[in-house]
Amino acid sequence: MHCQTTGSWGSYMPTTRTAATVVVGDPLERIERLASENAVVIFSMSSCCMCHAVKRLFCGMGVNPSVIELDQDPRGRDMEKALIRLLGASPAVPVVFVGGKLVGAMDRVMASHINGTLVPLLKQAGALWL
Amino acid sequence: MANHRVGETGLTESRPPNHHHHHNIPYAVLHGMNVPTSFIHQEGSAFGFGELEEAIVLQGVNIRNDEAKAPLFRPAATLEMFPSWPIRFQQTPRGSSKSGGESTDSGSAVNTICSKTENQLEPESPISTKNTTPLDHQQEMASDFSRTGTSQNQPVAKLPQEKRRGSTSEKQLDAKTLRRLAQNREAARKSRLRKKAYVQQLESSRIKLTQLEQDLQRSRSQGFFLGGSAGAVGNISSGAAIFDMEYSRWLEDDQRHMSELRTGLNAHLSDSDLRIIVDTYISHYDEIFRLKVVAAKADVFHLITGMWTTPAERCFLWMGGFRPSELIKMLISQLDPLTEQQVMGIYSLQHSSQQAEEALTQGLEQLQQSLTDTIAGGPVIDGMQQMAVALGKLANLEGFVRQADNLRQQTLHQLSRILTVRQAARCFLMIGEYYGHLRALSSLWVSRPRESMMSDDHSCQTTTDLQMVQPSQIHFSDF
Repeated sequence: MHCQTTGSWGSYMPTTRTAATVVVGDPLERIERLASENAVVIFSMSSCCMCHAVKRLFCGMGVNPSVIELDQDPRGRDMEKALIRLLGASPAVPVVFVGGKLVGAMDRVMASHINGTLVPLLKQAGALWL
Repeated sequence: MANHRVGETGLTESRPPNHHHHHNIPYAVLHGMNVPTSFIHQEGSAFGFGELEEAIVLQGVNIRNDEAKAPLFRPAATLEMFPSWPIRFQQTPRGSSKSGGESTDSGSAVNTICSKTENQLEPESPISTKNTTPLDHQQEMASDFSRTGTSQNQPVAKLPQEKRRGSTSEKQLDAKTLRRLAQNREAARKSRLRKKAYVQQLESSRIKLTQLEQDLQRSRSQGFFLGGSAGAVGNISSGAAIFDMEYSRWLEDDQRHMSELRTGLNAHLSDSDLRIIVDTYISHYDEIFRLKVVAAKADVFHLITGMWTTPAERCFLWMGGFRPSELIKMLISQLDPLTEQQVMGIYSLQHSSQQAEEALTQGLEQLQQSLTDTIAGGPVIDGMQQMAVALGKLANLEGFVRQADNLRQQTLHQLSRILTVRQAARCFLMIGEYYGHLRALSSLWVSRPRESMMSDDHSCQTTTDLQMVQPSQIHFSDF
């Protein structure tokens, strides 16, 4: 193909486009991508005690969650804002995804554990056996 | 809709009103209701529903007969049961013999008695102000009214913007009309009773409110805490005081709900009826959790230290309230007989609440640790900064109390899902009674008789013969 076209990025500089996507990517997309990489994903901040509580909850159930500390991530700020928008409230953390799907903040996680819906969800995602 | 002056129609009063007039702001206007038509009335010394029912009848008849569907009298959104002002009528000499169709139920038409304040002495009826209302129907209405022969010597509804005709002609009493009127009278009577009950309720609530306010005032000036420990003196924040007041009110409601549960169970109500009572009780608990959210924001320490509860309850306090797994443990033995599935459900609930409690406890411990690290001694570079950081961490306490309350609420809801209606009713009754006993225990403890010490030893050595004889008697000594 001709290279001097002013058309789409793709035909001209495919590698640049990929790089551009990574750098300027939508934080929400990144969140969703990260959330689907493991059975249980917790977005957290290392200084947050409620995040510690939710981590202890899953560990206590025998689940091994993957934790993303936003304060240690270069794009943490953007993701934090995206999470607030996603939840419709602050604080942004902790937020729990199971099987790539959003469970919610601490109150939803607790409610789903109490009403018995969390454990089946974990089993379905392969995070829990028994 | 315009307010039409009856005077313009040239109608004359056939008899003077018996009561003296004064004007009142009409209920609807006062309450911002949409006032589609006008209905001027005067206040007499007594409010007679009799006139109301006449108007209802006349109105209904008129609407029914209205060919041109005028913008009908649109009742306000809420059923206005208590028009406080009587409706005065003017006797209109009238009379065609047209018998109207069944009037629509009184409910449809004149439920809102509304008007604008006017310097008019003559009332108007709540009829659509469409000018084309046939006069015939008004004649019929008027004669209806005259036929009913109400014993009151009241004037009849006057009809707006119509030319008045001449003399009345007698009509036969319509059986349907009679029955309708009787029904209306019955409805009016019921409304009166309802109104009376409502007013009494308002009065008692008002009295209770002033009493509570006095209590609060007194307690505040003495610096005591409400609804809990006697003897603790200190300043109480307004958020805490407000919550204490709301909580004591909630406790009174709790008593009421519990007796409803009790009578419901003893009366062997149907499941659906009992379900209503149980759901009401659950909402009652939802209410206190809502109140605690506000209180946590205002004064989290008041909740966390349990100063809103009684001493014995405080003993078992976990994160500003009861520990769900402990509650379930208390209930398990008393809830038989349970199906196997229910047993599994209850144990699973206990297990998951234990896990959640443990997680929250560990989170709180980390908070405490972090707080200690912040304010503990050592090289302090910036004291204010340190305090600011500590304040920020302390703010997280509210979140933990909220999550703990959330856990309590979810546990109660899940209990009601697992149990049958009757079991749930018994269960909630047990919970209420349990806490009632704890509170009673606290009261007894606080007011227990104390022996003054004669020596430094325990009082069993400074005893009377009686106490020696009964060693099992508990001595309350000052330690």
